[in-house]
Amino acid sequence: MHLRLRQVLLLFVLFVPLLGLAHDVTSADQEILRNGGLWAYIRVGATHMLTGYDHLLFLTGVIFFLKGFKDILMFITVFTIGHCITLIGATYTGITANEHLVDAVIALSVLYKGFENLGGFEKLKVKSPNLLLMVGLFGLIHGFGLSTRLQSFDMGEEQFLAKILCFNLGVEVGQILALIPIVFIITLSRKHKQFPAFYQAVNWYLVLAGIGLFAYQMYGYFTGH
Amino acid sequence: MRKLFFLLLAILLLCSHNLYVKMETYFLQPNQEAILSLYNGTFEQSENIITRDRMLDASLIAQGKRTAIHTSQWKDQDSTITQLAFNTSEAGTYVVGVATKARNIELSAEKFNDYLEHDGVLDMLEQRTNDSLLDQDAVESYEKHIKAIYQVGDIKTNDWGTVLGYPIEFVPRANPYEKYSGEKLEIQLLLHSEPLSNQLVFADYIKGSHSHAHENHSHEHEHDGEKHSHNHANSDSEHSHSHESHGEETHTHTSGQQLRTNDQGIIMVDLPEDGIYYLRTIHMTRVTDSDELTHQSKWATLTFEVSHKHGADTHTHDHEHDHEHSLPTWVFVLGSLLLIGLLFLIFRKKN
Repeated sequence: MHLRLRQVLLLFVLFVPLLGLAHDVTSADQEILRNGGLWAYIRVGATHMLTGYDHLLFLTGVIFFLKGFKDILMFITVFTIGHCITLIGATYTGITANEHLVDAVIALSVLYKGFENLGGFEKLKVKSPNLLLMVGLFGLIHGFGLSTRLQSFDMGEEQFLAKILCFNLGVEVGQILALIPIVFIITLSRKHKQFPAFYQAVNWYLVLAGIGLFAYQMYGYFTGH
Repeated sequence: MRKLFFLLLAILLLCSHNLYVKMETYFLQPNQEAILSLYNGTFEQSENIITRDRMLDASLIAQGKRTAIHTSQWKDQDSTITQLAFNTSEAGTYVVGVATKARNIELSAEKFNDYLEHDGVLDMLEQRTNDSLLDQDAVESYEKHIKAIYQVGDIKTNDWGTVLGYPIEFVPRANPYEKYSGEKLEIQLLLHSEPLSNQLVFADYIKGSHSHAHENHSHEHEHDGEKHSHNHANSDSEHSHSHESHGEETHTHTSGQQLRTNDQGIIMVDLPEDGIYYLRTIHMTRVTDSDELTHQSKWATLTFEVSHKHGADTHTHDHEHDHEHSLPTWVFVLGSLLLIGLLFLIFRKKN
């Protein structure tokens, strides 16, 4: 166990710089939004989801925990409803917060999912919270993160609600596109005899990624980068 | 109805006056395709293209090197905007400059006085008033020398301070991209590379891609086949007017910050908010040794964008600073897969 922890920590130190790469959203997106109309919002929403690793890592963690397609559909629906509420609501009403802090909380959701999947609560002899509730709650937080990102763009005043809805639609498209390979890989891996090692590897990765992303966002918050 | 009137009026304004280098954003990524436009009119609306024969110089300054922009590189988007499509290349602070040849314009006394007033050439107007010359027609030679400073990526280079050697030009005393909203920026005005003191300069800004609306009152004059029109804003802070003459010139001005250069030709520009800042000045002198000209003017503009500082107490909206220095997506994916692979090997061995 000591050896395992040491190895995991070593890998963490080696790979933590990569964790700062979440959200590959740039001013090029701003250009696209300025010139591309409503389609551009769909495109940027999808791009944001596909490159917003923290969202995808969290979803990976959720799917890992679930076995049946029905469960996956239910949990993803709850997550989607959650992020739609805050994404549309916060953007429309102009509620925003420091992006680093919001992203730091999202990073904690990744850490939380990995920790839960690894049986962390059982090891601590604590009853794990209701997963559906937590997925809904984290959905709200992820939606707020998406909203702060969307609000960071200069959206203008025309078709404001339509732009938000299109961005949201793009996010859902991106989410579906990302989920297809994730669900496929995880489902396929379950049939393999090395699945336990794969399960542990991915969920430890989620824990490390969650810590790394959290540290990166807090660093950004305190240093202004 | 009033809007329709202004729209019709705007259509009547066939030509423009102030010239700016305008971009959608002045924060760009390395190796990005970008477009810069020559706005010949107001900062919000271009009325005319710049024909290539008018261009005396067009230069791009980057990494300590000045590169001429060939006239063939410019394209006219339509009949109103001349554009340059370019690749941003590597990270750094870039300067682009355009200078136009001098042209002459004949104006009746009334039109000339009106233009001086509305374009903020107040010193000349005062001089004409004091010398009882308000009734004298004018033949003015004018030339325009414009610059923009834009930032590619995160790396700040020193090209922002490059003096292009234009007859008149603004040169910042600090990199505008190391200044943030809420701060001030010192900018020096040079006339023939020497500090120009006691010169009126107007500085204003727009928030992002939004332009300020100007819709309150308007009037138009026509003299000897030349139109001269004005649109004035209802805002206390800004108004503009257009002046058409010789079929190609329109005046515009905005009150914004009205500044006057000190002995070193320096003005201190407030940067109250995030936005695209534009400065303009018209230096005009009386010509006494010419049979043809009565006045000579040199116009200068400078544009750049200002963003807010990223700190614990600010929103970190600027993606250039937050994300654009990031490595490509594939690096993250590959790194993650590698990490998962290594973890997998560890756990497989343990299991």
